[in-house]
Amino acid sequence: MSRSVKNHIFSAVTKLALCLCAAVLGFLLLSIMWQGGRAISLDFILSPARDFGTSGGIVFQILGSLLLVVTAALIVLPIAVGTAIYRECYMQLAQNKARLDTVLYALNAIPSISYGIFGLIFFVNILGTGLSWFVGSLILAMMMLPTLTLASHAAMQALPKSYRENAQALGLSQGEIIRHVILPQSSGGIVTGLMISLARAIGETAPIMFIATAFSGVSLPQSLLEPVASLPTHILALAQQSTDPQALQNAWGASLVLVSFVAAFSALAFYIRQKFSHLGQR
Amino acid sequence: MMTDAAVIMPKRSVKFDGIRAYARLSILITLLIITLILGTLIIQSGPAIFAASESLFTTNWKPSEGVYGIVPMVFGSLFVMLLAMAIALPIGGFAALAISRIKSLRAKRAWRSALEILAGIPSIVYGLIGVAYVSLWVAGAFDLQSGRIILSAGLILSVMILPTFLSLSEDAISTVPAAFRENAQALGLHDYEVELNVILPAAAPAIASAALLSLGRALGETMAVMLVIGSLDRLPSPLFNPLSSGQTITSKLGREVGESAFGSTHFSVLVLMSLILVALTIGLTILSQRLFKQGASR
Repeated sequence: MSRSVKNHIFSAVTKLALCLCAAVLGFLLLSIMWQGGRAISLDFILSPARDFGTSGGIVFQILGSLLLVVTAALIVLPIAVGTAIYRECYMQLAQNKARLDTVLYALNAIPSISYGIFGLIFFVNILGTGLSWFVGSLILAMMMLPTLTLASHAAMQALPKSYRENAQALGLSQGEIIRHVILPQSSGGIVTGLMISLARAIGETAPIMFIATAFSGVSLPQSLLEPVASLPTHILALAQQSTDPQALQNAWGASLVLVSFVAAFSALAFYIRQKFSHLGQR
Repeated sequence: MMTDAAVIMPKRSVKFDGIRAYARLSILITLLIITLILGTLIIQSGPAIFAASESLFTTNWKPSEGVYGIVPMVFGSLFVMLLAMAIALPIGGFAALAISRIKSLRAKRAWRSALEILAGIPSIVYGLIGVAYVSLWVAGAFDLQSGRIILSAGLILSVMILPTFLSLSEDAISTVPAAFRENAQALGLHDYEVELNVILPAAAPAIASAALLSLGRALGETMAVMLVIGSLDRLPSPLFNPLSSGQTITSKLGREVGESAFGSTHFSVLVLMSLILVALTIGLTILSQRLFKQGASR
């Protein structure tokens, strides 16, 4: 085979692979939008589920999912930012920094189902909290921690060195530099990281299915210690009755709403990144 | 430990540093979390090793008779993972080459955002697609009664790890210095020779790192696999038959953890499987990081 023939084959194979990826992406998005679009209506979004989700809507699932991830974000934000500050400003040994990175990568690597099992053992059984919104948020917060810490630290590390040197030259203490220079200047990156981890957390099923959610008949929780409904576990319950066309249709509707939330958080992350990316160059 | 600022102004450093205390507390919480997770899993899987040690490494799973063989689940996890990698690696690799060869910056950026969208779809939605489409297609194509088999799980999983592998590989290929490509082209090599013999070897450590990371993801994926794999606690026969139903560690956990009683041997064996999973995924991720750093430092 001549080299130019081989070259054509190579070029064709790479293009084919790319077309295949595009086809998969197109199929996924179109089927979610088309199937979901048929199921969705204002009524579906605004009314509560009935008959184990096969009829009615998903209003409490939407609110429950938002409650879960927003609470998780409030828990994780101070811890992640604090850890990032410690890594950036107070850790001197390269060895310790590498160790912390390994811990964060390990936390990131733990499969979501294992977080769920840990939550079931530690909170529900050992501490006796029962199925609750708060425990679900705690576990989601733990899952968000590595992503948010790494993103926050990357934002702090990306600041020009001259910012800190100028602040030191002006006589600011380390604490003042962090509060008045590092935190404000890296806030764009921190918020971007928060949006990315929110987008991931809202779609998680495995960590919360044993510890935070009840499948049906749940409205809004009256306190932090009551179970909530959520979109992912609702889709799971409906997908398991996939022979029932009505259940399947509602599952598609809930999926479209869930994917829209993911897209909204990701779009916010993109927007904030764009807006703040010019700051460092001023 | 005196910081630079403290050296200049010793008076201020005597004052209580609130930010420092807060940062230290945060990092202690982070370390506490990983210790708690690993500690809990290790302690809770202890009883399984004592109470079920005879049956643990057999292929029988019958909790009602006190027989807990985890081999079918471990095998299922590895088999599904290998299937998914066999599909995703070649497609992802070639597609990464194709994207890196695109000249228009705008088109490149569009492809990258498309991959981010693909990576953002929650796994439960992939599961729904598996139930509603993939398992039906597979059943039709192979004339089976049910499409809830190992092959369907492998197919769904390959699509799920594709965006991660593809975008990391594309990053790896793009960071190969332009001079490599230019020199190879100046020597009169054809495109395929440049890409396969110059660019790919230079990017190989980072691509291997991407593959290991995807392996870890594939092992830990639960929802989509659980919905399409058929949940059969036996080794497939013949052993490498992708058309048989199966069970992975994750699908087993997803189905049974809620139903088994806390404190029972059954529960403890499930926790042990989760611990094996965690050990594998953490190991793969750390290995992946090592490889990546090696590649970057060369």
